Order: sequence, then C-alpha cells, then structure tokens
Amino acid sequence: MKYEHLYVVIEHEEGKPVPVSLEMLGEARRLMDGYNRKYSADEKVVAVVLGHGVRGICDELVHYGADAVVYADSPELKYPRNLIDTKVIAQIALDRTVAAKFSKSTDFQRPRYMFFAADSIGRQLSSTVMVQLDSGLASDINKLVIEDLEIKHEHKTKGQPVMYERTLEMYRPDFSGFLWTTILCLDNRNPANARDFYPQACSIIPGVFAPLERDASRKGVVIDYAPTFSPEDLKVRIISRKAVKSAVDYDSKKAVVSFGRGIKDSPEQNIRLVAALAKELDAEVGVSLPISKKPYPVSESISSAYMVPDRVIGTSGRKVMPLLYVAAGISGAMQHIAGMKESGFVVAINPDVESPIKDECDVFIRGRMEDVIPALIEELRAIKPQLEARK
Amino acid sequence: MPDLHAAVIIKLEPDFSEGNVSYNADGTLNRAETKSILGPHSAIACQAAFYSKVKFGARVAVGTMGPPNADVALAHAQAICDADELHLYSDRLFAGADTLATAETLRAGIAKMEGKMDIVFSGHRASDGETGQTGPQTAWKLGYTFLGNVIDYDVDMQRRVVRARRVISLQGLYDIVEEVEAPLPVFIAIDPSYKPSFVTVSQRLALEKYQKEAKARVQDFKKYMKVFNAQQLGVDPKTVGLPGSPTIVYKVEKIPKAKASRKAEVIDGSDREQLRRVAAKIHEVLGGMVIK
Repeated sequence: MKYEHLYVVIEHEEGKPVPVSLEMLGEARRLMDGYNRKYSADEKVVAVVLGHGVRGICDELVHYGADAVVYADSPELKYPRNLIDTKVIAQIALDRTVAAKFSKSTDFQRPRYMFFAADSIGRQLSSTVMVQLDSGLASDINKLVIEDLEIKHEHKTKGQPVMYERTLEMYRPDFSGFLWTTILCLDNRNPANARDFYPQACSIIPGVFAPLERDASRKGVVIDYAPTFSPEDLKVRIISRKAVKSAVDYDSKKAVVSFGRGIKDSPEQNIRLVAALAKELDAEVGVSLPISKKPYPVSESISSAYMVPDRVIGTSGRKVMPLLYVAAGISGAMQHIAGMKESGFVVAINPDVESPIKDECDVFIRGRMEDVIPALIEELRAIKPQLEARK
Repeated sequence: MPDLHAAVIIKLEPDFSEGNVSYNADGTLNRAETKSILGPHSAIACQAAFYSKVKFGARVAVGTMGPPNADVALAHAQAICDADELHLYSDRLFAGADTLATAETLRAGIAKMEGKMDIVFSGHRASDGETGQTGPQTAWKLGYTFLGNVIDYDVDMQRRVVRARRVISLQGLYDIVEEVEAPLPVFIAIDPSYKPSFVTVSQRLALEKYQKEAKARVQDFKKYMKVFNAQQLGVDPKTVGLPGSPTIVYKVEKIPKAKASRKAEVIDGSDREQLRRVAAKIHEVLGGMVIK
C-alpha cells in the first residue's frame, strides 16, 4: 500500500516524554490494533522523536505502545524550533528506507495517519508539517474512530456516493463545548480535480486519552535517523529559555472557585463575589472557556485579572484536582468537566437544576450566585470561631 | 520608501460579548442572531503591527478573506493600526475553505500587498474556529520563519533581525519563556497577553500622530481598500475554497450527555440551615475537621 502506518510526533522535556505523548501512543495502539484486526493488516504505530540525547526516551516509547521509534539526534534539535523541526519531520514521514526498517511492505510513500499534540508546540508544528506534506489537518481532537464511510460531497465526489475506506473520523468539540464536529481528510475523487490527501492528520487534546500501562517486555524497532539540514533551516537562534511559574497557581491551593457565564446579570459585582469567596477559602480563581473571550464589559482591572486564557479550566486550558472545587454559574460543558472532574469535593451554585454540572457535583446549591455566595461566605465565617474553639 | 513593511491578517468573527452574542436553548451559538466583528485576537495582532508603525515607521497593510461585509473588520483594524492599505479577498470560490485552502488565499493576498512584507502578524487563533492553524500555515506557504505565542518583539533595523519573546505552555507543568532571534522576514502569531509599550517621548509623539491619522483615515476607509476575487489574486481555483480543502466537516452533533459521575445533593440556596451544613462540609474537606 502507498499509505501505511500511524506516525505519532512525540514531545519531551528534560529527557522525559510529556504526558500527552504517551496518551497519543496509547490511543494510536488501540486504534491500530483494531485496524489490523479489521483489515487483516500489519500496519505500525511509529513514534517520531527529535532532540539531543534522546536515545534513552526511545525504549520508553516502545514500552508505551510504539512498534517503531524513529529518532533524530542532533545539538541543533535540542529545543523545539518550528522551522527545522518541520523539515525533519517531513523528511522522516516521506522516507521509504525508514519505513522499510519496520515494515515488509515495499510500496510505502507516506504515513496513512499522523498525530500531534494540541499544545503550544504541536499545534504549530502540525500546521507547518501538514503544509509541507500538503495534506489535511484537524485540531483539538478528543475522539477518534476508523471506519469505511460512504460519502456524497459536492466537491469531493461530485455529488456521487463514493466509499472511502479506512477513514479516520476526527471528533472535535466546538468552542461552546456542546457540539461535536467530525472532520474527515478525504481524497478528491472528483475527476475534475482528483488527488490524494495523506496523511490524515490531527492534533490531540492533552489529558483526554489514557496511556497504556508501561510494559517493559514490549519489543520495537529503534531507528537512528540522520537528518539533512541546510544553513537556512537553522536561522532561528534561541537566545534564552527560562521556566516560569504561571501567576495562576492551581497546584499549591487546596481549593478552586470557578465562574462561568452565570455572572452575566451583574458581571463586575459577581466576579468580585467569586473573588471574595476564593479569598475566604484561600482558593485560586478559575473560569470557563467562554469567559476568557471577555464577553462582558467589566472594569479593566477585573478583566485583565480574571477573564484571561491562563485561568481557563478544561480541555482548552488547565486540568485541576483540588480538594474542593466550587463551580459558580457554570453550566458544565464537557470541555470544562474534563478539567475539573478529578477534584475531591465539588460544589455547584446554579439556578438551573437541569444544567449538566448537576451530574458532576456533590452538592448542588440551587440559586443565583448573587444571593448564594454572600450567604455562604457568612456561614463560612460564622463557623470559623467554633472550629478555633475546638482546637 | 519605508524601512519596514508589516502586514496583518485578520478575521471577521462572531461577537461573543454579552448583548451581542446569542445562544440557542441547547447552549450552542446562534449564528443568525449573533453580530460579527473584528476578532479579539485579530485586534491584538493589529496592535502589534501598530507598534512597528510607531517605533519603526512601518507601512502597514491589513488583509482578510471573507464575505463583503468583512469590510467592517478591516475598518476596525485600520482604526487600531492606522493601516495604509486594506485588502478584502472575497469570492464565492473561497467558500468552504479549510485552513490549508485559507492559507493559500492569504499567501496570494499578501503577495499582492505593496512592497515585500518584512513581518506578517496574525492573531493567536480565531474565537469561532479556534484551530490556530491558519497563521502557521500561511507562514509556511510564504516561506517565512514562523514564531508563535509571541508576547513581545523588537526589530534590530540595522541587522534586519527580529528579537522576540515567546511563551510555551507545557500542559500545566510550567511555562517556558523563550527569547529567540530570527532574520527578517518573519511571521508572528501574537499571544493574547501581548501589550505594546511606548516608552520614549518620540514614541509617544509618534503614537499620537498615528492615532490621529487612523481616526481620520477610517472615516473614509474604503478609499484604502481593494477587493480581490480569485482571478485577481491569481490563485489556482483548485487550491482554494472547497476544491483546495483536504478536510471536510462530515457531521455536527450534540455531544451526548455523559453518565452522571457524581450524585449531587440538591439544596435550596435560600435555606440558611442547609447552607450552614455546606459550610461545615467545606471546612471538613479543606481542614479535615468534622463538625457535628
């Protein structure tokens, strides 16, 4: 076959794969096991690693599900740089001698499927690699299925029903968190403009898929790839690189108080209430994704402190697991739930008992936050002296 | 001749601000009822281009692919960055484009701008599509060095080099702030946290001058605007719109409600007695103390 295997672009930091890399391998393994059974095929999960001193990571990737690992090791690849990384990944993807080292097939041209991480590195890398390979890309995927699909499309099939075999259905939650869009990357079978589009590629949301159990007995092929650079490819120079703690600190706080669109009747005042409750509980403040789009006119100080992407909890932001999670005026879109479901005790404040957050909390306080939060703060304060007295 | 040419690619997007945005009963966006405006990330990209104008006297061009009413986004962009040239790429052939086909149209459009671009800016991502792919894909098609998540930048005009700081978020582990240098031309996708600062007196004077100029220009923005169709852009119709898009939207469905993961006790928010119990429970959870 011309198009074979699933290539997974691995990211790593300080000598370890970042979690989403192992999550992608886990999902790749599950998908390709199913694929090989269904189509009596023997296509591989291939991890692609760029870096310096990365040989040690390769065996780990095999233990986590890769059949083959192709690594390019060079001081020039020590830190991610979009330009050179794009070139090298595209070289590896198109290299037939590489593919011949893990597969008996002889007519390989390109990967069938390709995965990247939907994070600040992979999102951009996937974009440029897929231009270089001239194929399609879907972003922020959280469900994947391989199916034979009959498609009738104005352009792709000139309106005729056509069977597309082994098609990757890429599910992507939209910004509202309530809709799922399925993206397909399909060849043009329209005779007026016939052409193939491979690999079918996507970026995958971190924290969605489960990695496999590490299995040190798993075997795989590790391939040392020597990339070719031109001086042009190296023209971006990294001058410094510093780790910084985000100003928003979810990790050292025992509690998180989040708010969503339920603040809408009096946004400024409600955000202040949320902040007051957070202060009372020594909690960090979180927001749902729509809030980071600054949908309400509030004072600049409130807006820049709270309505920012850095505070977003969910698949488009951060994942938190505090002892206590308070969701005020949050309806509970799937994307948000994914970011807080592992919290210890969850309290929701919401006037609508039908909202999905009700199924994700331990206590559902029915009411408007305008009324509930001040009363709750009073009760929290009232109880404190009693606690002190018992100490 | 200006020493620096800057371009911005922008997008007309639904206005997510309260009072303008309209949601359906099921929580999805009601597109028919929602107004469209210059996307907020596009607006930040315009601020970044304006910085080049104030600091280096750059000539600024703004381009967008969209329907004829996307001209309002161009006008708004001009008001922010005092653009010298506005481009609208509008053709039914462009409809249905995925990010690859959109990037092809934008690439061709940028090539039509006056002068060779030294820096092209885009926003971080659109508020509606949210892929964040169009910027880097346009950059790659232009053959420009792509720098993403840029929180501030400067240009060494003598060496024709950009120095930028960019922030890389590592899945909540920690963030990395990276300082990089790249020769012009570059493509910068600007981070939402970008804030231009004008520190010297001469910069502040230039700022005032260009802001005033922008105000005047935008009154008559159509004078600065050119509209291009596919033929005028000289793009191959097979590479834009639906024919140029490898991907399609196969289906859109409501995300099925997940199985309840917790069994909530529903309490009445106006009942103080019940709130007191919640407060006690919260203290217990946080402090490991039980109050009976």
